[in-house]
Amino acid sequence: MSSVREWSDDAGALRRFGLALVRDDRFVFDDVAASALIEKLFRQASLTLVECPGGDRRAARVRAFAQFVRLYRRYARRLALDEDGGWIETPPSGRNCGSAAVGVRSLPLELREALLLVVLAGFTHREAAAALDLPLAVVVDRLVRARTRLAAHMGAARDAAAAWPQTAHLRIVK
Amino acid sequence: MTGRVDPAETLAYVDDCLEPEARRDFEARLTADPELRREVALWESQSRAIRAAFGAPPRGALDLGGAINENGARRSGEAARSADDAARRSGAARKPRETTCPVAKPRPSGPGPTARRLVGALALTASFVCVGLPSLGPPPPSALLAAGVSAVRALADLPVEFAAGDPAALARRLGPRLALAPPPAPGLQLVGARLAAGSQTTAMLYLYDNARGERVALLVEPLDEIAATPPRRREIDGLSVAAWTGAGYGFAAAAADDADLAALIAAAGVDNDSLTDAGAQRR
Repeated sequence: MSSVREWSDDAGALRRFGLALVRDDRFVFDDVAASALIEKLFRQASLTLVECPGGDRRAARVRAFAQFVRLYRRYARRLALDEDGGWIETPPSGRNCGSAAVGVRSLPLELREALLLVVLAGFTHREAAAALDLPLAVVVDRLVRARTRLAAHMGAARDAAAAWPQTAHLRIVK
Repeated sequence: MTGRVDPAETLAYVDDCLEPEARRDFEARLTADPELRREVALWESQSRAIRAAFGAPPRGALDLGGAINENGARRSGEAARSADDAARRSGAARKPRETTCPVAKPRPSGPGPTARRLVGALALTASFVCVGLPSLGPPPPSALLAAGVSAVRALADLPVEFAAGDPAALARRLGPRLALAPPPAPGLQLVGARLAAGSQTTAMLYLYDNARGERVALLVEPLDEIAATPPRRREIDGLSVAAWTGAGYGFAAAAADDADLAALIAAAGVDNDSLTDAGAQRR
């Protein structure tokens, strides 16, 4: 029973991670497709546990997330090639637009995936490095850069919000 | 960023990736370094904001369901223990519930339920025929007569609240429920209106002046689903009062002169020939 609950928690974490990472609605068409993809990834990860009974469940979780990251990277590369490098991730419509969410989505993909794996999915730095297939130092460097840029974005958003009442009267109303 | 602490270490502390020993060392440095504390607080607030923005549960959240269940189990255990103590003190052991065989109830003697219902209905019908339908108060014309007399005595000589030369404008000001244009009566000059207490609810008292400057009043009270009743007249202390109902309203007209009362009743669309003397019946 606890195993089922843990897998369910992991599936929820992967869904949140996917929603935060993906900026193109065409990657996953709708909720049904997203559920199917997440179920497929975790079924693959659980099969590795069945084949190796002594395997670590957390490692299986890392494999599921890593597979998702690889799929989205492949999708982004393919679109960039199809559109002669002109493909730019655009914020999908209908998502929440708080300053933290906007700040995270404005980060480049390589910074975004590292930050979201650690903060949103709860990975350690080593697990994030394993999922991203990168050295630990590179992941830490990306995390520091991502946090610095996010702090600048959130600070700017906060300043703009604080300044609004003083500048609102300057708007020209016809 | 402080020059003394590696950002990777700060990041590892914020992301909960430090070993317990390293964590204690870092926290010792944290207490002595306000700049480091500020940076840690900033990054922790970032983490909280990101988790909240994308719907993730906060890290280290309390398991409220578990806490509630534990409390419930603790409370039920305490209740069971206190029940056992009480039973032990009284020397009475809890007895197992006895299994009883269903026993058929004896049928009551006398008439059956259908016969009793029939007898009750017959008795009720006979009482209505002999006594009449029950009444919760005086019939509407009598209550309206009393309300009209009270309103005229209390308010007729006071200045009006709604002065109106135009009856339609007066009706518009009084709202949809009291939006009855007061009837223009020949020989009477509409002065205005006052809010007054009706027989059951708020009413409007329209005041007129006759040629001698005497006040003539018409009380209009909105009533729900009331049957139309013919006007009844009563003479009270030199004041002629007539009351009737119709179209969901109750009316009471009062004047010192019978001619003014007749003019007002006629203006309200009521046939004076149908006027009956309530005073002869009630007194």
